[in-house]
Amino acid sequence: MTTNGSSGTQKLPLEGLRILDFTVVWAGPYSTMQLADWGAEVIRIESLQHFASTTRGVMARPPVEMVRAQSWLGYPDDDAGERPWNRYSVFNHHGRNKRAITVDMTRPEGQEVFDKLLRISDGVIENNVPVSMERLDVTWERVSAVNPNAVMIRMPAFGLTGSYQNYRTWGNHMEALSGHPLIRTYPDLTPEYAPQGVPADAASGIGAAFAFLLGLRQRRKIGKGVLIEAATAENFVPLLGDFVMDYTMNGRVWTQMGNDHWYLAPHNVYRCQGQDAWVTIAVENEDQWVELCRVMRMESLAGDTRFVDMESRHANRIELDSIIGEWTTNHQAHWVMNRLQQVKVPSGVVMNEKEALEDKHLHERGFWHPLTHPEAGTYQYVNTPWKASKTPNIAPRRHAPRLGEDNEYIYKEVLGFSEDEYRQFEETGHIGMDYDPSVP
Amino acid sequence: MMTGTMPLDDVRIIDLTQTTIGPFCTRMLGDYGADVIKIERPGTGDPARTMPPFFNDEPGIERSGLFLFLNTNKRSVTVDLESERGRQIIRQLVENADVLVENFAPGVMGEMGLGYEALTEVNPRIVVTSLSNYGQSGPYHDFAGTEINLYGMGGNMIASGDIDHEPVKTAGRMVNYHAGYVGALATTMSLHATEFLRDGIGEHLDVSVFETATHSIDSRLGRLMGYQHSGNVGTRPGRSAAVASGVFQCADGWFLITGTATFVHLVIKMIGMDELLEQPEWATVAERAKPERIDEFAAYLVPWMLERTKSEVRDACEAYGILGGPMNTIADLLSDPGFESRGYFQEIDHPTTGAIKYPGFHFTIHRDAEDGGPMPARRRAPLLGEHTDEVLSEGLGLSDDEISRLRAERVI
Repeated sequence: MTTNGSSGTQKLPLEGLRILDFTVVWAGPYSTMQLADWGAEVIRIESLQHFASTTRGVMARPPVEMVRAQSWLGYPDDDAGERPWNRYSVFNHHGRNKRAITVDMTRPEGQEVFDKLLRISDGVIENNVPVSMERLDVTWERVSAVNPNAVMIRMPAFGLTGSYQNYRTWGNHMEALSGHPLIRTYPDLTPEYAPQGVPADAASGIGAAFAFLLGLRQRRKIGKGVLIEAATAENFVPLLGDFVMDYTMNGRVWTQMGNDHWYLAPHNVYRCQGQDAWVTIAVENEDQWVELCRVMRMESLAGDTRFVDMESRHANRIELDSIIGEWTTNHQAHWVMNRLQQVKVPSGVVMNEKEALEDKHLHERGFWHPLTHPEAGTYQYVNTPWKASKTPNIAPRRHAPRLGEDNEYIYKEVLGFSEDEYRQFEETGHIGMDYDPSVP
Repeated sequence: MMTGTMPLDDVRIIDLTQTTIGPFCTRMLGDYGADVIKIERPGTGDPARTMPPFFNDEPGIERSGLFLFLNTNKRSVTVDLESERGRQIIRQLVENADVLVENFAPGVMGEMGLGYEALTEVNPRIVVTSLSNYGQSGPYHDFAGTEINLYGMGGNMIASGDIDHEPVKTAGRMVNYHAGYVGALATTMSLHATEFLRDGIGEHLDVSVFETATHSIDSRLGRLMGYQHSGNVGTRPGRSAAVASGVFQCADGWFLITGTATFVHLVIKMIGMDELLEQPEWATVAERAKPERIDEFAAYLVPWMLERTKSEVRDACEAYGILGGPMNTIADLLSDPGFESRGYFQEIDHPTTGAIKYPGFHFTIHRDAEDGGPMPARRRAPLLGEHTDEVLSEGLGLSDDEISRLRAERVI
């Protein structure tokens, strides 16, 4: 029996499935978060001797200067605390509903623990460069030999083969190589100002969870496990499909578009009243254009030859944007959005974190759900990313596991090790709740 | 047709989606084996057929690169949803389908008599996936929205870009595609639940672009959590917010590197300044995290970068295990040696365009020879109505006469 059930009487779709989780940073953990949210027993396999950077924090024991300089790291009240690895906001979010054990797989008895667990599991998910997994001997050859029914998802940035297989990147570097930031950055500034966001990681997480479900179906059909290779770069490039097609069909290369649309105008973000307040407006057709002019009380603009149709508006968009921007600076972003939405002009507030947490629509939709972590406190967590009419939709159920929190349950109840054996694992540094003092 | 076993090769999908969000969802399902029957308006088809880029920049319903990209592995059937007979055809198709996907504005399906409850009367097993901008309920459910609006509301736009300039969006239609991708995951999860939890009873799924963006686009989730923990509202960072980090000019373009206090020692070694590590200012992570180190280090790094090409710097980063990547154009991407070494881009032939390259599969299912070997090549996007006769005669058992009559009445 696995344990990650709903609290109510209704079962969750993936209850009964056990997944061993070697994921790090964001893309991989976001994928196992999806699976744990819908009921799979996801067991994070961690080591007291090795700290995977940017997973349970940037460092196990970050110096106070670093916490202060990078407050966005998100420790409660900028205090990393005694065990920072249990207080890192990002981990605590994607770790919900998962379990965590510690074992040193660089030693033979650690390898035996892994084998025992693998035999009673349904799959393995990891997102490391292949050389790291080879070092732990967690390869498809090994996994399928120990458990021929295992579904394995491997998601290194550039795949298991090819000239970049051990090229280590985060999402943003892989996106840079794939062409994204150079397209999205400002038209009138050097690429030094390019945004560093990573839509690739979210897409990798969704993709790997989807791949795992497909792996389960494939397993039922062919009667054995399956390896799915989900290179995060290969998963990301199709999200730039429009640009790839324009290049392969027409040889056209788009760069530094900022908020420009290929052909719509106006299509931009405009400053509003208040601190760093902005609203987006996009006009898709002539009716919306006329309505926008009316709301701005500039009806004459609609007949202005510079802006008379989409093509001329697009050609003269810099002038047009400055006219609209002058109007929005005199209004609050929420007022602009609501006023334009009354007449069906696409517009939206650029929401900061506070606004998102207070947003009435998200609240009414049950998007947020509170959860308490014993070492970090109570916060609002995101619920499932979609609503299913006949399935329980409460995702945040159990707090993210502290380092080694589920050792007793897994070693004793699931694997059946005796009290003496358990103590032995503790004494030899496999089991614990603190990183080895040598880990920075 | 598919060869060998694919995970979704026993799943039939009635696809009422159009433009981008829904078609991306069904594209994912089609790529992994589902039989996707795409319903299009007679005469004009999916509006994406009239959206650029067009092959050789000449508009035409079989020339849109956007449409060709989004509709591989689908069959096209024209049905007029405005007519009662057309709606009846949809209900008949639903009888033998597992999934229906739609991305109309909330309420439109109900108005057409094709709401979830009505469809369960025809087929209780059906999973109905509804994709919309803001969801089927809630105060914004009838708001108008395009990609930039949804990214601004849901995603991390407020923190995207430079502090002294306006926030900037993600490229192209990324937020919409992401929502479509979530739709594919949701649909597959629901098929699993339908089979294992509910004894063959389907359900209605409500996927909203706004929520899928808030759920994580561009690290949004990290910031939403960081804010709750530290009380700091995120802002756009400056050009270089950490030591040895940011976009630097090379001999032939730009390069993104992430040193930060944690990895800067590797960058120091890469640029051959090992002796720096013996100085107290650079000896510890705490020292390296001080804000004044950012400009100090730039003085060493900038000239080193300027003397090298993007690809030389990439090679060096790989050798030293440093996080870095060239700021490529799409042209660079299509000739990138790493993607090339994997044979990633796929050539797909089409009557209008001939054989051109498309992005490859999102992920690869490794199949043994006995299960079919390497994944089957994608089938090109269908011509408008290319499969109407085939689906209506084989799928619904309509006679040639009936099909001709429906065509004369412009139902199909």
